[in-house]
Amino acid sequence: MSVASYAQVFERCAAAWPAAQRRARRAKLEEFLRLGFPTRKLEDWRYTDLSALAERSFEPARRTAVALQDALLPRSDRLVYVNGELDRNASTADELSALVQTETPGATGVDALNAAFATPGLNLALGPHARLARPLHLILAGAANPQAAMTHQRHRIHLGQAAEAVLLVEFRGAAGGDRLVTQTFDIRLAPGSRLRLYRLQDEAAGSQLISRMDARLARDARIDIVCLDRGCGLARHDLNLELAEPGAEVELAGFYQPAAGAHLDNHTRIVHAAPHGRSRELFKGIVGEKSRAVFNGKIVVSPGAQKTDSEQRVANLLLAPRAEVDAKPELEIYADDVKCAHGATVGQLDETALAYLRSRGIADSDARALLRRAFALEVLDRIAWPALRDRAALLLGYPPPAETALEP
Amino acid sequence: MLEIRNLHATVAGKDILKGLDLTVRAGEVHAIMGPNGSGKSTLAHVLAGREGYAVTQGTVRFEGKNLLELPPEARACEGLFLGFQYPVEIPGVSNLTLLKAALNAQRKHRGAPEIDATDFLVWVRECARVMGIDPKMLSRGVNEGFSGGEKKRNEILQMLVLQPRLAILDETDSGLDIDALKVVAEGINRLRAPQRAFVLVTHYQRLLDYVQPDFVHVLAGGRIVKSGGPELARELEEKGYGWLEAA
Repeated sequence: MSVASYAQVFERCAAAWPAAQRRARRAKLEEFLRLGFPTRKLEDWRYTDLSALAERSFEPARRTAVALQDALLPRSDRLVYVNGELDRNASTADELSALVQTETPGATGVDALNAAFATPGLNLALGPHARLARPLHLILAGAANPQAAMTHQRHRIHLGQAAEAVLLVEFRGAAGGDRLVTQTFDIRLAPGSRLRLYRLQDEAAGSQLISRMDARLARDARIDIVCLDRGCGLARHDLNLELAEPGAEVELAGFYQPAAGAHLDNHTRIVHAAPHGRSRELFKGIVGEKSRAVFNGKIVVSPGAQKTDSEQRVANLLLAPRAEVDAKPELEIYADDVKCAHGATVGQLDETALAYLRSRGIADSDARALLRRAFALEVLDRIAWPALRDRAALLLGYPPPAETALEP
Repeated sequence: MLEIRNLHATVAGKDILKGLDLTVRAGEVHAIMGPNGSGKSTLAHVLAGREGYAVTQGTVRFEGKNLLELPPEARACEGLFLGFQYPVEIPGVSNLTLLKAALNAQRKHRGAPEIDATDFLVWVRECARVMGIDPKMLSRGVNEGFSGGEKKRNEILQMLVLQPRLAILDETDSGLDIDALKVVAEGINRLRAPQRAFVLVTHYQRLLDYVQPDFVHVLAGGRIVKSGGPELARELEEKGYGWLEAA
C-alpha cells in the first residue's frame, strides 16, 4: 500500500501553515502514513472498502461557486463552507469558524489524515445556561474542482452546564467532481445540557465522505439526533455516543435511502459507561436498485452501568433484487441490572396493507408510494424543526399530502 | 348487477367454493349466512380480488364486465367495495390520505377531475358525523390503535365516502356492541338506493334486525343450499344450520 501522494501534498501545504502547527500536523501525517486507510480486514470496515484511496492523489480542494438556495431555512443562522473554505457571504455566524485541534480517541488512519490536513470548522462553545437563540445550520458543501480534490475539517461543539442548542449539519455535494471529504466532530455536553442535532447527507456521485462524531454526555445531559442520508456517493458515518455520567439520555433516529449507485455505511456506537442512562435508537432504511446500505449499531453497557435502559430497533425495506443491506446489531452487556431490547428486520412492503389500499381503488404503484412514505415518516416525524422536516421530506421524495394541511 | 355462475375457488389447494350461483340486482340487499368454514369469507375475498384465492371454474360478471380479470383496484374503481372482517392497521397513512387517494383514483377512472380540497373535507366530515367518528381520528393512521368496533365503523365510513354501487360487507357486524351495530346499520341504510346493492355476509341474524334484507341465502359446503326472504334468517336463528347441512 502506498499513500505517498498524501505526503507529497502535505509538503506543499506545510509552507502555508504557521510553524506552531506544523509539528503536530506532521506527527498526524506520520501516524496516517503508518496506519494507512482502513482495510476490509478490520471488522469495522468489512463492508466499506477504502483501500483504493491509498493509490489516489487528491489536491487540497478550493472554493467554487455553489447554489445554496434550496438549502436555506428561515429563522436560522448559517455557517457555510464550500470545499472546506468558509463562505462569509453565505454565512450569518462566521464568527464561529475556527481551527479546531482536538484529540480523537481510538484514531484510525482516516482520523490521522483528517487531523494532519484539518482546516477551520465550527467551533461552538456555550457557557453555562446559555442558549443558542436560533438553530444553527452548518453547511458543508462540496463541488467539482478541475482535479480530484480533498477536504478535511474538524469541528467542536461544547455545551456548558444546562446550555441548549439546535444544530443541523448538512453534507451536500454538487454534481460531478471526484472528492475525498473527511469531517470530524468533537461534541461535549456538560451536566444538564441539551443538544438537538440533525445530520443530513445529500452527496453527489464521485464524492467519498467519511464523517465521525464523538459525543460525551455528562450527568443528565441529553442529545436528540436525527440522521438522514440520501445521495449517491460513498458515505461512511461513525457516530459514537458515550453516556459518561449518570442520568444521561440519548434519543437517536436515522433514515437512509441511498440513491442508485450509492454506498452508505452507518456505524453507531452507544456506550453506557455510568448508571441510570437511557438510550433509544431507531434506524430505518429503504434500499433500492443498485444501492447498498450498511448499518452497524453497537450498544455497550459497561461494568457498573446499572439501571441502564436501552432500546435499539433497525428496520430495512429491500425493494429491488440488486439492492443490498448489511445490518448488524451488536450488544455487549457487562452489567446485570439493565433493560436492553433490540431488534433488526429486513423485509418488503406489507402485502396486507398493500392489498387493503388497492381494494379501495388505489393503484399498486401509488399504494406502494404511500407505504414507503409511511415507513419513512416514523423517523421524519421526529424532526422537531418544521421547516427542516418539510425540506427533508421533500428531499427524500415524501412531500406531505395536501390534506394533512387541512384541519378536519 | 352481479352474476355469479358455478363459481369454484380454492385456497392453498383446498376446494372452498364448489359451484356457487348468485344473482344480485340493483336496489337489492342480500344476506349470505352460513356456518363457520362454509366459504362466506372466501366468496367476499374472491369478489374483491384478494391474492391467494384461485378461481378454478365459473364466471363472475359485474355490470356486464368479467370481474375476475380485473385487478383489485380496478374492481374498486368500477364501484365494488369490500368491507373487511379484519380491517388492516396502516400507521403512517392517515385515514384522510387513504380516503382522498381512493376517491381521486376512482374519479380519475371515471374521467372526473380531482375533488376540491374543501369539498372533500366537508364530505368526509359529514360521513364521519353519521358514523359517530371523531373528526380528529381522521388524521390518525388508518385504523391505527382503533378498537374492533371503531375499525368496523371506519369500514362503513369508507363506504359512505366512496359511494360504491355494490358493497360486500364481510362480517361487519361481528364484535360490535349493540350501539355500534346500530350505527353501522344506519350507515348501510343511508346508502340504500335503487341503483345500489349490498351483499351482507354474516354469521348471525342480529344485523338483519336493523338492515332488512330482500333475500337471505344459506351457504354451506361451498354452495348456496337454500334461499328465501327475511323469514329464513329468523328460522336459522331458531334452528341453527345443522338441519340444512344435513340435508
